[in-house]
Amino acid sequence: MVLVSAVRDYVNRMLQDISGMKVLILDSQTVSIVSVVYSQSELLQKEVFLVELIDSISKSEESMSHLKAVYFLRPTSENIQYMRRQLSNPRFGEYHLFFSNMLKDTQIHLLADSDEQEIVQQVQEFYADFIAVDPYHFTLNMPSNHYYILPAVLDPSNLQNFCDRAVDGIGAVFLALKRRPIIRYSRTSDIAKRVAHEAAKLMYQQESGLFDFRRMDISPLLLIVDRRDDPVTPLLNQWTYQAMVYELIGIQDNKVDLRSTGKLPKDQQEVVLSSEQDAFFKANMYENFGDIGMNIKRMVDDFQQVAKSNQNIQTIEDMAKFVDNYPEYRKMHGNVSKHVTLVTEMSKIVEERKLMLVSETEQELACNGGQVAAFEAVTNLLNNENISDIDRLRLVMLYALRYEKESPVQLMQLFNKLQSRSAKYKPGLVQFLLKQAGVDKRTGDLYGNRDFLNIARNMARGLKGVENVYTQHQPLLVQTMESIIKGRLKDVDYPYVGNHYQQGRTQEVIIFIVGGTTYEELRSIAQLNASNSGIRFILGGTAVLNTKRFLKDLEEAQVIARTNANVV
Amino acid sequence: MATRNRSWLFNKYRDALKGARLPTSSSTANLRPRSGGAPAIEMASTSLLHSKRSYTALSTDDPGNSSKGTAPIGLPPSWVDVSGEIATNVQRARAKMAELGKAHAKALMPSFGDGKEDQRNIENLTSKITNLLKRSEKRLQKLSATGPSEDSNVRKNVQRQLATDLQKLSVELRKKQSTYLKRLRQQMEEGADMEMNLNGNRSKEEDDDWDDMMFNEHQMAKLKQSEIVESVNELAQIMKDLSVLVIDQGTIIDWIDYNILNVATTVEEGLKQPQKAERTQKQGGMVMCASVLVVMCFVMLVLLILKEIFF
Repeated sequence: MVLVSAVRDYVNRMLQDISGMKVLILDSQTVSIVSVVYSQSELLQKEVFLVELIDSISKSEESMSHLKAVYFLRPTSENIQYMRRQLSNPRFGEYHLFFSNMLKDTQIHLLADSDEQEIVQQVQEFYADFIAVDPYHFTLNMPSNHYYILPAVLDPSNLQNFCDRAVDGIGAVFLALKRRPIIRYSRTSDIAKRVAHEAAKLMYQQESGLFDFRRMDISPLLLIVDRRDDPVTPLLNQWTYQAMVYELIGIQDNKVDLRSTGKLPKDQQEVVLSSEQDAFFKANMYENFGDIGMNIKRMVDDFQQVAKSNQNIQTIEDMAKFVDNYPEYRKMHGNVSKHVTLVTEMSKIVEERKLMLVSETEQELACNGGQVAAFEAVTNLLNNENISDIDRLRLVMLYALRYEKESPVQLMQLFNKLQSRSAKYKPGLVQFLLKQAGVDKRTGDLYGNRDFLNIARNMARGLKGVENVYTQHQPLLVQTMESIIKGRLKDVDYPYVGNHYQQGRTQEVIIFIVGGTTYEELRSIAQLNASNSGIRFILGGTAVLNTKRFLKDLEEAQVIARTNANVV
Repeated sequence: MATRNRSWLFNKYRDALKGARLPTSSSTANLRPRSGGAPAIEMASTSLLHSKRSYTALSTDDPGNSSKGTAPIGLPPSWVDVSGEIATNVQRARAKMAELGKAHAKALMPSFGDGKEDQRNIENLTSKITNLLKRSEKRLQKLSATGPSEDSNVRKNVQRQLATDLQKLSVELRKKQSTYLKRLRQQMEEGADMEMNLNGNRSKEEDDDWDDMMFNEHQMAKLKQSEIVESVNELAQIMKDLSVLVIDQGTIIDWIDYNILNVATTVEEGLKQPQKAERTQKQGGMVMCASVLVVMCFVMLVLLILKEIFF
């Protein structure tokens, strides 16, 4: 909640001091940032009567001097160019510029140069440079996320851009929270080390004046980890509501696009799924599929009762009451049909792709089970005609990650089978994944089979049995967070940056995953936060991943690696 | 939340650059479309001329070719006045609603007079508010614009916001009226009960008097009720009209990027239509007919000449 309210405060402050009719001009990134925290009707109340993107507004020539322009942009060189052009041909009465991150002096100089008519009233930096998608969750939504996989020598300039964007985003988060953290990172990951060091440089050296908040309480902890420490979580099929919708259909900026799924009435083609505005979603976003079904049925029954009572209109009083309650009724109707549509859609997909079967094997591969049984199960599923390509690839990858070192012969057999069955995905991708995220490259104990204590814990869990076979997997992040709560995060695995050591217990931890977060991890964070352990966790990443997105990143990285290898 | 104000640095750079630019300002100044002459006087006269020009251009269809130089300081388009008027009406209505609330409370208090003053006051206020709302709603319809353009989007959004305010006010008014009505009815019933009890203890002649008075009271109450019902109907009509314009909270239409993308598509559509029209016109049948006729004329002429030669 704290991130959402921080961004809302920034937007409020932007708009409140400027009176009169305003137009809000955003760029493609800031539009996501603003749209997840502010609604159109709220903007209208603040007298913002037009919202535009900066590249489309430069095409039009209409002069609207009765409007005051409020620009909220990222300080990229492209945006500065657009601004210069617009300042030299001004269309609005006043110009108020807000940038979501730190401006360089040269950029300010360029802007001042174009403002010949002195129409710019203020230039401010408001550090809302991240998308606050959920409470305790932010993302940077980087378009070219795959660069984290490649070593620095392959494409240094793009990697530098990637790092810069990550560091800018992290800096903005801490400026919005008004804290300066102690930074730790995952030892085996070069990119995590790089991001950590550059963030430390930014916060403690380059802009130390800006970050110097002079607070007496304990600094929060920023932990930078690499997605490749836990490649299993993005590959699994999900069964909790929010994660499942994202995995099977896809969510973008809290909106779900259902247009591709056949004939739906117009107002259901694109729906909003936000925990702040939808009480049912908020209560059910972390529930598993079976429970959701029951809750939806209950909601539909309630709604049917209300609808029936609405049909019993006898007197004028009843009519008046009906008209009074109509907006509520309509909202409820919209909500019910939205959730029913989503769940129907997902059930259809689960049925088509036989996901119950696939997921059972996946969970076995991820959590426990012997190698022989696993091999048999995977082979059977590969032979099954109904399984889609992506699920086949998923299974082989999970098997390869788990049983990388045991019985390479059987692994080769699986690769060959995958090659013969699947036209779209080549086993080369699996080998690429192993090279990047294999057992030698990972920090932390993904399968619980390195540390004696973990092995014992696993055996105990196996004997006790699990509540639900489909949701038994726990992301590696949970172990990391538990170690932090106990204060036992090993220095050897997660070294500190600089000389700032932890004094006393942290109360706020921000975990930044380079490469992307998943909704399953968000669920673990929400559960830990609710359990009152005394520490508040916030999760952030360069993107939000589902299987498709993770595989796309791998493929793109593989292409670049291959072309560079050929060149060399 | 931390922020940093860069305006001071920006102004410093701007002033420095302005100082560097002034001595060299001549016809090569890229913005002003005027040429040569003593810089100081030139600038004064051009700015005067520019402002004059923008005053004459009231409509939003100004091609703006001449006023590209200065930030146009012209008058805003006429619909802005309409929206301002509606906003003031809304404010006035809100103030009157507060008064009405007080008047309702006063009328409901038990009093020894016959309360006609209060009733008249309430009727007066209610009718004034309803009139204000109706007038505002009519003016609101005028704000609708046609054609895809940024200005029409602004108008649509202004319309939406005023519609939301009006709808809220009308809902509030109806609620106030219905509670007042309910309480009035309750009081009447209590009064009637009291009357009936008292009746039982009185003698016959006084009964008639009491009956008459009760009858009058009932009539008055009925009259009140019918008036209120009428104003409720009017308001319901207004609400219906307004509900079309108001956005539902939390739906996709309330999402900012949905509105932005829609603008983009409507502008594109708007471009396609005239393009299509141009194409159909070019392919027009008239041109075909004319060319066919000309060709036929030539052919006939040639035939005629040939006939002359060979005959």
